[in-house]
Amino acid sequence: MKRLYVIYDGQCHFCRRCRVWLDRQPAYVPLTFIPLQWPEVSCRFPGIERLQPDKEIVVISDTGDVWQGGAAWVMCLWALREYREWSQRLANPVLLPFARRACALVSEHRQQFSRWLEEESADRLRERLAALPVEACANDRYCEPH
Amino acid sequence: MNYVVTTYAFYLLISVALTVWVARTLHKSGRLFLVDAFHGNEPLADSINHLLVVGFYLINIGYVTLALKYGDKAANVQELLEVLSTKIGAVLLILGGMHFFNLYVFNKMRKRALLHGAPPPLPPQAHLSVVGQI
Repeated sequence: MKRLYVIYDGQCHFCRRCRVWLDRQPAYVPLTFIPLQWPEVSCRFPGIERLQPDKEIVVISDTGDVWQGGAAWVMCLWALREYREWSQRLANPVLLPFARRACALVSEHRQQFSRWLEEESADRLRERLAALPVEACANDRYCEPH
Repeated sequence: MNYVVTTYAFYLLISVALTVWVARTLHKSGRLFLVDAFHGNEPLADSINHLLVVGFYLINIGYVTLALKYGDKAANVQELLEVLSTKIGAVLLILGGMHFFNLYVFNKMRKRALLHGAPPPLPPQAHLSVVGQI
């Protein structure tokens, strides 16, 4: 296995945050992130609609093996250097049902999480903008962005 | 030479000899673990092994010399043996603790190395064909 394709909901702020986090981690197996809304998704992965990728995250290997939901998260962790041990722990039959349930719960409420995160980031942006010094414009010329 | 000095002499001799024996055992048997942990890179394994043994000597001989004057002072042969036994017992326990700590470090390194080639922890749930390179 040389690569894992992660099919995620590109319209969900929370999912995009997760993608950024995953992308920053050093990996044994490189991860390629593909938003679900990419027009070529169904041509590149024929039959993916059957898996209902809008419901839960899907991970596909370059050889075509598919994992979804909690298992997909476990596979993402497996690809990462610092979290491979965790993936083996979570894949344990005792812990796996909890991982699946947690993942299902997060997937179901991802819009809600996104709203919280968006509100928070909008507030933060507002604060940062308010903290910027405002340059006074000369009367005889217009302000040019730097 | 009085009893106290005799205790110290035996204590140093036995403790250092024990430290050398444990360090040699670690050095000899730990090498295989390390070679495996570093994917057969023998020079690197030997170097780490040597550094670990040096640390082992420093900590143990440091403890032995620091603890030399502590404990009861022997006034006859019976007390000499008792004091010596207590002091050597403490050294043995410290050596045992260090030995297990070293084993833990070796094992941690080896496990980490094995992770690199570990297969996926879960079997795939379905199969799709992937068209082209993305």
